[in-house]
Amino acid sequence: MEFEFRFDIVWNNLPLLLEGVQTTILLSLLTMVLGTIIGLFVAIVRLRVRKIFALPLVVYVEVFRGTPGLIQIVWIYYCLPILTGLQLDALTSLVIAMALNVGSYLSEVFRAGIQGVSKGHIEAAAAVGFKPGQIIRRVIVPQAAYRMIPAIGNVFVSAIKLSSLCSVLGMAELMYQGQIIIANFFRPIEVFTVVAVIYLIMAYTTSLFMMYLEWKFAWIRRKKVPFWQKFKQISKTSFQIKPQGNL
Amino acid sequence: MTSAVKIKNLHKSFGSLKVLRGIDLDVAQGEVVCILGASGSGKSTLLRCINQLSIPDEGTVYINGDPIGNLLSETGELKKANQTTLASQRSRIGYVFQQFNLWPHRTVLGNVIEALKIVKKMNNADAEKIAIDRITEVGLLDWKDEYPDTLSGGQQQRVAIARMLAMEPEVMLFDEPTSALDPERVGEVIEVMKELAEKGHTMIIATHELNFGRDTADRAIFIDEGVIVEQASAQEFFSHPKSERLQSFLKRMSM
Ligand SMILES: Nc1ncnc2c1ncn2[C@@H]1O[C@H](COP(=O)(O)OP(=O)(O)OP(=O)(O)O)[C@@H](O)[C@H]1O
Ligand SMILES: [Mg+2]
Repeated sequence: MEFEFRFDIVWNNLPLLLEGVQTTILLSLLTMVLGTIIGLFVAIVRLRVRKIFALPLVVYVEVFRGTPGLIQIVWIYYCLPILTGLQLDALTSLVIAMALNVGSYLSEVFRAGIQGVSKGHIEAAAAVGFKPGQIIRRVIVPQAAYRMIPAIGNVFVSAIKLSSLCSVLGMAELMYQGQIIIANFFRPIEVFTVVAVIYLIMAYTTSLFMMYLEWKFAWIRRKKVPFWQKFKQISKTSFQIKPQGNL
Repeated sequence: MTSAVKIKNLHKSFGSLKVLRGIDLDVAQGEVVCILGASGSGKSTLLRCINQLSIPDEGTVYINGDPIGNLLSETGELKKANQTTLASQRSRIGYVFQQFNLWPHRTVLGNVIEALKIVKKMNNADAEKIAIDRITEVGLLDWKDEYPDTLSGGQQQRVAIARMLAMEPEVMLFDEPTSALDPERVGEVIEVMKELAEKGHTMIIATHELNFGRDTADRAIFIDEGVIVEQASAQEFFSHPKSERLQSFLKRMSM
């Protein structure tokens, strides 16, 4: 028997998927924002306090980097209300869980980025009379931020994919909606193909945005390079297997 | 007249390593002093203690009578200065690093203009005028819009000197300004420093360039095991070293 692709089923149910897309975007954006705050906090505290006081944060980072995201999400979803006594709605506890995951990765990105700023550049600023706050704003942040952009982009892209795990807990995001359609029409291949393409579009948009930021903040623009050239150059290198950025 | 720099009984250790064990030094206005010593003898540490990039364990540094890193209270006691005071004191001391340490995210002009705007709170036009003058002085006007990583080491060091000059420091400290340069780039930096010396700036220079020291410095000092072992006018110092340690050091250096 010939297998026949039935993409018409997916098109007919597209509104359902698009509803899911909205929820996925909401989940991802909230996770990125909260995760960035957590990551910054953890990175700065770890750089400023003695090792022994930073130990709880080290444990946090290693636990969230070293265990499956699905277990983290399920665990926090069920255990956070028990532990804190708070009744949180599903969206809130899922975002907290994912932000803790994303924050653990971002904290390492931020820490490496801040540490990567050469001590000499900082001392040069101190030597001409910059105050500590001015050193942070004028020397550390511009250099660290620029260098961290590609790595932050990677974490953001994985945050989008991470949000698909929320389907397990009945959050009606893209993956969940896809599974509903599959359950009704028994067409997993077609539905998953379209769902994957939608994830790819969201992930690639994020990457493009980060590339744009990298281009915009690039201080080394010997000649003013237009964005599309930068884009060409990055898309060329992204086919080579090597870590992005200087981290 | 007060000394441009007065160092009293300076001590500095890193852990159990005693690097400076009581340095006393007076530098007069307009004097050019060069510091010699073996690698690891504490030349950088001494310079860093002057502008408090390293905080001395003991002893005080005065720039034109003002204790650096400290405040003189009305009763004449020394009180540790806060960050704001320390920052404004540091702005009176120029520092040129072995590794240039230009800010890679700013152009040549941006590097020189930065402290004028941020520390001296000048407006853009005034700051740019001064910066352009200083960049011209070190011969890099054509390069003012380039980023540091496109320049040679010698050019970068000249930008670093321009950045320091723009702040009109009362004293200039140079920590082996030519050691990181390709041999053929040393001359251009030395040229700029000679001009500064001729203009009467007060300079303290850690260096391994014996010829430069002999030609340019008024006085040379030799540091070994944390103390000043010998000091003399540059002429005397290089042609008639007294202590055995300096004699063998100069011999090794000129080989
Ligand atoms: N921050 C630091 N922590 C620990 N040890 C240090 C530190 N800075 C310097 N030292 C040590 O202090 C000693 C003196 O160092 P310093 O850099 O002042 O020597 P130097 O005379 O400038 O040498 P060089 O000619 O190699 O530049 C060296 O043994 C060095 O290892
Ligand atoms: Mg040194």
